[in-house]
Amino acid sequence: MLSAFLSAFRTPDLRKKLLFTAAIIALYRLGATIPSPGVSYGNVQQCIKAASAGSNGIFSLLNLFSGGALLSLSVFALGIMPYITASIILQLLTVVIPRLEQLRKEGQSGQAKITQYTRYLTLGLAVLQSSAFVALGKSGQLFGGACPAGVEIIPATKIPAWLTLVALVVTMTAGTGVIMWLGELITDRGVGNGMSVLIFTSIAARLPSEGWQIYKQKGAYWFAGVLVLVVAIIAAVVYIEQAQRRIPVQYAKRMVGRRMYGGTSTYIPLKVNQAGVIPVIFGSSLLYLPQLALQFTKSDNPGNVWLWVDRHLANPSNWVYIATYFVLIIFFTYFYVSITFNPTEVADNMKKYGGFVQGIRPGKPTADYLDFILTRITLPGALYLGIIAVLPNFFFMWLGGTSYQNFPFGGTAVLIMVGVGLETVKQIESQLMQRNYEGFLR
Amino acid sequence: MGLADKLKQKLQTFMQRPGATVSLAPSEALLPRIEALEEELGALSDEELTERAGALRERLTKAADVHRSGAGTDMEAYTDATSRRQAVLIDDDDLVEICALGREAGRRALDERAFDVQLLGAMAMLAGTIVEMATGEGKTLAAAIAAYGYVARGSRVQILTVNDYLARRDAEWMGPVYGLLGLSVGSVGEDSTHDERLEAYARDVCYVSVSEVGFDFLRDQLVLDAGDEVMPGLPTLILDEADSVLIDEARVPLVLAGSFDDSVSPAASAATLVAAMQPGRDFEGIEDGRNVQLTEAGALMVEKAYGGIDLYAPENLEKLTAVNLALHARALLTLDVDYIVRDGKVQLVDGFRGRIAQRRRWPDGLQAAVEAKEGLTPTAEGEVLATITVQGFIGLYPTVCGMTGTAVNIGDELREFYRLEVAVIPPNTPSIRIDEADRVYVTAEEKEDAIIAEVAAAHEVGRPVLIGTLDVAESERLAAALRAKDIECVVLNAKNDASEAKIIAEAGGLGRVTVSTQMAGRGTDIRLGGRGETDRDAVVDLGGLLVIGSGRHNSRRVDDQLRGRAGRQGDPGGSVFFVSPEDTLIVRNGEPFDGRTAGDGRMTGPAVDRAVSHAQKVSEGVAFEIHRNTWRYGVLIERQRQQLAFRRLEILAGDLAAQWVRDADKERYDEVVELLGEERTEEAARLIGLAHLDRGWADHLAMLADVREGVHLRALGRQDPLDEFHRVAIPAFKEFLDDTQTKTVETFAEADLSEGWTPDDEGLVRPSTTWTYMVHENPFGSEIERFISAAARAVFGVSSNPPS
Repeated sequence: MLSAFLSAFRTPDLRKKLLFTAAIIALYRLGATIPSPGVSYGNVQQCIKAASAGSNGIFSLLNLFSGGALLSLSVFALGIMPYITASIILQLLTVVIPRLEQLRKEGQSGQAKITQYTRYLTLGLAVLQSSAFVALGKSGQLFGGACPAGVEIIPATKIPAWLTLVALVVTMTAGTGVIMWLGELITDRGVGNGMSVLIFTSIAARLPSEGWQIYKQKGAYWFAGVLVLVVAIIAAVVYIEQAQRRIPVQYAKRMVGRRMYGGTSTYIPLKVNQAGVIPVIFGSSLLYLPQLALQFTKSDNPGNVWLWVDRHLANPSNWVYIATYFVLIIFFTYFYVSITFNPTEVADNMKKYGGFVQGIRPGKPTADYLDFILTRITLPGALYLGIIAVLPNFFFMWLGGTSYQNFPFGGTAVLIMVGVGLETVKQIESQLMQRNYEGFLR
Repeated sequence: MGLADKLKQKLQTFMQRPGATVSLAPSEALLPRIEALEEELGALSDEELTERAGALRERLTKAADVHRSGAGTDMEAYTDATSRRQAVLIDDDDLVEICALGREAGRRALDERAFDVQLLGAMAMLAGTIVEMATGEGKTLAAAIAAYGYVARGSRVQILTVNDYLARRDAEWMGPVYGLLGLSVGSVGEDSTHDERLEAYARDVCYVSVSEVGFDFLRDQLVLDAGDEVMPGLPTLILDEADSVLIDEARVPLVLAGSFDDSVSPAASAATLVAAMQPGRDFEGIEDGRNVQLTEAGALMVEKAYGGIDLYAPENLEKLTAVNLALHARALLTLDVDYIVRDGKVQLVDGFRGRIAQRRRWPDGLQAAVEAKEGLTPTAEGEVLATITVQGFIGLYPTVCGMTGTAVNIGDELREFYRLEVAVIPPNTPSIRIDEADRVYVTAEEKEDAIIAEVAAAHEVGRPVLIGTLDVAESERLAAALRAKDIECVVLNAKNDASEAKIIAEAGGLGRVTVSTQMAGRGTDIRLGGRGETDRDAVVDLGGLLVIGSGRHNSRRVDDQLRGRAGRQGDPGGSVFFVSPEDTLIVRNGEPFDGRTAGDGRMTGPAVDRAVSHAQKVSEGVAFEIHRNTWRYGVLIERQRQQLAFRRLEILAGDLAAQWVRDADKERYDEVVELLGEERTEEAARLIGLAHLDRGWADHLAMLADVREGVHLRALGRQDPLDEFHRVAIPAFKEFLDDTQTKTVETFAEADLSEGWTPDDEGLVRPSTTWTYMVHENPFGSEIERFISAAARAVFGVSSNPPS
């Protein structure tokens, strides 16, 4: 991987692309640290300090995705979540609204229109979300009431309060627009998929400060230990993410004089982790529900059920919580794989284009065969996802306290980082190959 | 115009960026100066004119030579030294002189004074753009003037035409013009001999069809002796009917194939088997007209017929392939729509032009399957020895410009794939053609009735009618229906382009009815009142030529071309398309729509119009996607082909192969030198090297085709198929080049290199025959991307709709 980067830097136009990407990332990080107008930077820092001591998880996942920009209400506070949400909504709408389905079928020009709609929707969502966060910030609830008394994130000034709030909303919405543009710039002129690279940046940006916190609280030995463990985890994730089972496929629609290559490079790659990071996100979202319910049903003399839930299901360092999380992830892995990889559909498609798995009849037998392999390969994949996801919870147990929730070395964060990293390096490598051999004859 | 209007207009131009065009204002400013020169040039004698044209040429060529960039690039090996001088831009004075000389030469030779718009076209071509000029505006002369401009700058010029007939006609037609300007001109056709080609390509201007020049290029890439090439490098290119070459045929690979020992083809037995099958029971899936597959019952039947084999076992791959191909031939390819049988041969119908495509074959055994289906002797498939797509080939030319009747619609594609801009030349006299809205009918039958009625009404008063149909069978059907109503009509099914051009030229005659598939007679004008314009006034009074389209084509551009046959140079004319939801275009690409509003089956309303244009947009989108994908995969193969060409040149013209063997085993080398002499030894090494290189390249191409076929499956593992393709293709290419060296050394060491040695002795058989063909749009490949999108959607879990 390092050598790939090194040789990439020796190729002029790839170097240009890499530097371009780095410059965009720097801009993105800069925007994530600049506070929006009207926000008191000092007060925000006080609140963050106060909040990280206690436990609250309301926006921590969102905060993770925005690289810490959200809680400090910076210019790029919303990150790229509005864009991702908008894309998902439009993709879903495509199924529902015939007009969109028609557009999608019209190829490039239609696709361009859908992209345009996505952008508008992103801005709409950004207005909604920024309004919500600004309101929360104003009322002090952004940190779950953890701010010390009298410390206001958006302090009153001579400017009318409504004007400040409007300016904030406009700033953050514009910030989202800029992020969207930055992402597209990376996709077009840099390396990797812009959106993924930006998410990667946000998560990675948290690493130093989290690491520093461990160092400060637990000392150098703990810190070194965690470091070693983290490297081991990342190595394991890289290893398993790459693992795949190849099912050779043969095509029988071309009569070629001499067949010498058949089957060696034509295959269906079934990944061990065919589901990606989605099951973890599903699982953690679902487990967040009990916490939410507890907050709504808070009362002065809670019943037994409330207490049990509070102690077991809402406590990430409890065995019940960990076990439930683990089981949910395994369930969602199977669930997601079964939705996204439909063996019948794949078999039908192969059959349609004249392909078949050697020795196996097309149609249903092929579908059954694929299903058989998929079910078996998904088990280690699901276990792996579960283990990676619950690792931070063990950290909680060892480190004591729950301040390491959404700790960037575990679960979702590592899976996303490694996934994006691999994808980007692969793309660089591929471009490198194309360019390098241009001159290798000379 | 108010400010608001101006802004609105600005905004509109901005919004319509896809059609953004080059500004003509700078060229327009030169027109008065060109006109001012007219008197001066008119006073010259013919000889003086030629002299003056020659003087300009000499001066410009010299200036260009001085500017010529000295830096040697990789491309040097290919391109004509002269054509790289184009970096030098000529100044306005020279441009004025070129146009004025061109106009004067045209006036004297053809008795045709070039209109201002023709000069604008010539200037735009000299600036390297694709020029949109309506039919009948005199593109041929404009191109000739542009060609003079390029030659004057010191480059040779090739003008690519759609077919051999037009190449010959234009070369003869423009010959006197070039003669006056002191340029030599030639043309190449299918029947040109080697020497004729050699001579024609060396002329200042050479007219040739795209397939001829492409095949000559490929053949030149396989010569065994340096100096056997017919083309002295690639000159400046001017494309006639640029859209047809750059877009419609862009994906068509030109293929040079060699025959190899073909064992008994299973095509015949498979055809018999498949002929006995029943649709629905034994095979299925033909609804979208692109794919067909055996059902379980069909597979069992085949297995039984072959004596109880397992059809899907590795050893029976060939039989299964033969059955699949036979099935495709039977279920998806229709006689007189996709192909015709003539003189015991299957001839393909070109989907874009609706004409018989000369020398074109289906790829990968499908041709043999169709031949077997029609009871003909299957021809050998052959092995691909060298191939290049039309797009890749055009991309090799250092300077490309062109002209066509319809370019704006494809502005985006031209920019993306060729970095070409479009310049729109206004017509000399504004078009007054009346383009009616589509008439949509519920059933195809009602549509045809309406067409007949429309033709009958026009014919009654003597108005000439040109009916553009979608396929040959439809032409025959409509013609028969018209004759049944006592309407005499001419059907264009001429075998050769020349007589076809004659018929088309007469299509504007009083009372003429011409039925033709879409693009017939491109490049030939339809003059009102017939070729001699005898009844012109009568026809003008009747409203000019009426063009009737029997259905919308796959792209708007083709529709526009058909419409463009009427209303030439400000003539009156009309056009209307008849459409039905049962048309192939709508069945394959559209949503079903309904709404009978009249007793004769006529449907109206905005929803109907939208549905029709939606279907066309889908079809255009699919074509664009396919084009882009072919291009994305083709980029790498093209780059490898260029690498190969350099390596080959090193062996062919240099002594690379001799170096290899000398470095590997000096002793052996000296031994052979003693036997054969220095020169013959080098030749032996060279021949061995070339044989291994060509053989290896053919294998490499076959391997790439194989990988390409199934690489889309990688998307299922969330890998990018294109990246994966590169991952396989790049190391394989390097290995192939290394292998060539190893094998050359081996063969040289082991061969019995005595007097009278030939490479054949070592089993290095060169193909006994080679032939050339263009692969018809790959009937399988086009689906790959649709599968990817389906797979991608499956991966992202959004829609469960099967791809339509």
